[in-house]
Amino acid sequence: MSDHPYGDHVALVLESCPDASEEDVVKAFKQYEEEFFIPPQDAMHSIIRKLQVSSTPTGTGRSPSGGSARTAKPMRKVERLEELTGEDQNVEITVQLVSHNVREQTVRGEERTIAFGLLEDQPYDSSTPSTRWEYKDWAPKSELRAGSIVRLEGASVNEYQGRRSINVNRSTRVVVLEEGTAPVVAPGEPLSIADLPKEGNVCVVARVLGIRPDVIHRRDGTGSIDVVRGRLADDTGSIGFLSWEPLDLEVGQLVKIDGANVRTFRDTPELNFGRTTTVEAYHDAAFASTEDLEAAAAATIADLRDGARDVRCVVEIHEWQRRTFTRDGEERHLWSGQVADPSGRCRMSAWDELPIDESSLPVTVRLTGVRVRAWQGVPDITVDSADQVEVLDGPPWEERIDFATHSVEVDFDELAEGGGRVGVSTTGLIVSVRDDSGLILRCPECRRVLRDGACQDHGPQDGQEDVRLRLVMQGEGSTISVFLGRDPALALLDMDLDALRAAIAEHGAMAWVQTLRARFLGRSATVRGRLLVDERSSMFMAEALEPLDEDGAMMATEARAHWEVA
Amino acid sequence: MEPSRNIRRQPAWHVFASEFGEATLNEKGSGEYDPSFVITRLGAKINRCLVAGLLERVEARETSSGQTMYQGQLRDPSGLMYFSVGDYDPESARESILGLSRALEEGETMHVMMVAKARWYQTDEGAIYTSLRPEEVVRIDPSRYSAWLARTANATLARLAAYERAQPVVSEGPEAMKQAGIPGHLVPGLSLALPHYDGASVEQYRLHVLQALDIAEGRMDAVRTEPAKLPVHGGETAEGEASPAGGSDDANDVMKQLIATLDQGQGVDYETLIRNMGARGFDAGLADTTLDALFDEGSILEPNFGWYRLVE
Repeated sequence: MSDHPYGDHVALVLESCPDASEEDVVKAFKQYEEEFFIPPQDAMHSIIRKLQVSSTPTGTGRSPSGGSARTAKPMRKVERLEELTGEDQNVEITVQLVSHNVREQTVRGEERTIAFGLLEDQPYDSSTPSTRWEYKDWAPKSELRAGSIVRLEGASVNEYQGRRSINVNRSTRVVVLEEGTAPVVAPGEPLSIADLPKEGNVCVVARVLGIRPDVIHRRDGTGSIDVVRGRLADDTGSIGFLSWEPLDLEVGQLVKIDGANVRTFRDTPELNFGRTTTVEAYHDAAFASTEDLEAAAAATIADLRDGARDVRCVVEIHEWQRRTFTRDGEERHLWSGQVADPSGRCRMSAWDELPIDESSLPVTVRLTGVRVRAWQGVPDITVDSADQVEVLDGPPWEERIDFATHSVEVDFDELAEGGGRVGVSTTGLIVSVRDDSGLILRCPECRRVLRDGACQDHGPQDGQEDVRLRLVMQGEGSTISVFLGRDPALALLDMDLDALRAAIAEHGAMAWVQTLRARFLGRSATVRGRLLVDERSSMFMAEALEPLDEDGAMMATEARAHWEVA
Repeated sequence: MEPSRNIRRQPAWHVFASEFGEATLNEKGSGEYDPSFVITRLGAKINRCLVAGLLERVEARETSSGQTMYQGQLRDPSGLMYFSVGDYDPESARESILGLSRALEEGETMHVMMVAKARWYQTDEGAIYTSLRPEEVVRIDPSRYSAWLARTANATLARLAAYERAQPVVSEGPEAMKQAGIPGHLVPGLSLALPHYDGASVEQYRLHVLQALDIAEGRMDAVRTEPAKLPVHGGETAEGEASPAGGSDDANDVMKQLIATLDQGQGVDYETLIRNMGARGFDAGLADTTLDALFDEGSILEPNFGWYRLVE
């Protein structure tokens, strides 16, 4: 018994399974350990079970359902304020604070600070109307702020002359689920540009980086409004502005603007100045210079967002074509092509002829004051006039961009949280292979996938066969849907269409997808392609997917080193 | 195109059985389609998870409504994960479980990985149980298992580090937590977990991580532990004087020894005990009575329904 390290484990198994031979038991332990990495103490249960399975009948109705048990605290948990009565003393409820005010009050002869305001129930449910109650916080807690969504644990209900309200007591626990989105900013208290909210009335101190008159045409054709557009920056960032009032400012001037409104157009916030906005010169010798701010405000392709204006950036033009179309009987031209910088690729369009010789591409240009539109979240830089473009002698970056294979490696979570991107690659974990992967039939008219041989728009059709794989990948805390069309799918599976058809016919569609799962689920992979984003969804259109071979032992050693565990 | 950005797909957390099984906190939004979560002591806010382990058991069970439910358990280095698949679960997951169940009956040993939804429920007595509903299930080879062990160990260590950082700042709210360097995806869970579990020990998770790392690195000798020693009471006794109807004192002792030996932290399940008693010559009826007697005299506990531990 000494030629194996399982000593007493074997004895125990033999005791439970008197019919088994010691040799078999040792072999089983060895197999579990060597092939399945299961130490003997964990394997014992399985081995006993396995050896007993044939010999002992089972069959009892009493069986565990699993898990572990703890006793929950007795607290009355409700979702709606209406469920509460004046008797409730220990309540848990999730609410949004509508308002929060502080005042001094004499309580039992003692001067105390208390907070009060309104709160609303069901902050996460927009389908039913919320109920509003007053609340008082008898020992003002810093977690309670206007706009915050909080869970109150151990609050009580106060009923006075038939009106119920919530008491937040000294012992009440406040769990902040969401910080207030509408922080109350004291007027005249400047915010840095990076900290500006998406909507709201603000004050900023910033330098003017650009300013130009513009005209907005009323949609109903009743005329036009003169406005001023431009860009402001501080050392935390820059933001475009739109003034509905005349504005006499110069580039480089430092100003304090109070009472401006932030509005977010598409994905881009903008400051709006109106009649109640005050703009005054500001003096601060330590404020960042115009040159520094301009350099910092230059965008890379990765930064571009739909709706951005007055954008400065340097790009390489790799493809450039003139297209001709007719509008209102007049022949007009539009130039468009593909551009790249070290952060990625995107499209660019121009309404004016640029001094670019197509034979000398790639050409590096500095763009000033251009705007960004996006299609499916992929940015398209729009140049309105040739004077926004300055041709440079060469790119300011070192690396040569090979346009055909130019893909920029992007961190998975950064990609998942950002806008659409072209020419990117990322690495994540495959966590789903969807059941609808495989062969599909498309409508010959509109390419839509047929259901039961019929197109939603074009009725029954003889579909065209196509291949798709749909996966879900994830990073640290975010997921992306990944789509592989016919070519990348066949390349990944390393088979041609005939072989695929045969494999699916052999297994059946569902079991065939299961073979894909067996190959890919839980594995890391690198995908290259483009991420399309619109308001409702996002999808990565993969040009190639490459699963990575991972070495668990190496990963374990790395984890030890990273977290400094022995 | 789905999933929509508004209703994002919930990521799959890498979590060991012990961390998931000890969770007692949950969150369910009030809307019909709001996801529900199990929140662990280390602040993993789990709607979906990616788990793996040795498939130990799959059993079919009829529910009261006449449907068939397949229940089973996976063992990882930290303990057991329980799962169940019913008629309402994806057909492909049900088919996979059925296939694995057949292989298990034929005596195969296998590692299984599953992407599963976290479930919890509370009994009338207030006990909270967690379990899994598999969405996608695959049999994996040892190399993918060892990669999973390493990845899950890494994720658990990240949560342990965030847990420690969060302790002093959790009362100051989510922004303060982010400023303290806690990764954004851990902030919501830790905000809820720290006040709820309130100082409950998490050091056992570090131990489980180390075991997982040892296994992933192939250092099996470091992971082996000796079983609890059996007092001298072996085959001779069972074969010899102790007749099947032998003294109930004898049955009591054997039962207690079995529990002591087979308990790996979460108790021993009823069926295992009955079967092992059977192997030692005590029939199921006597074994059942013995359990009841030991329970009544206070020698054993039933911390979960159908699971037994010795009173220490």
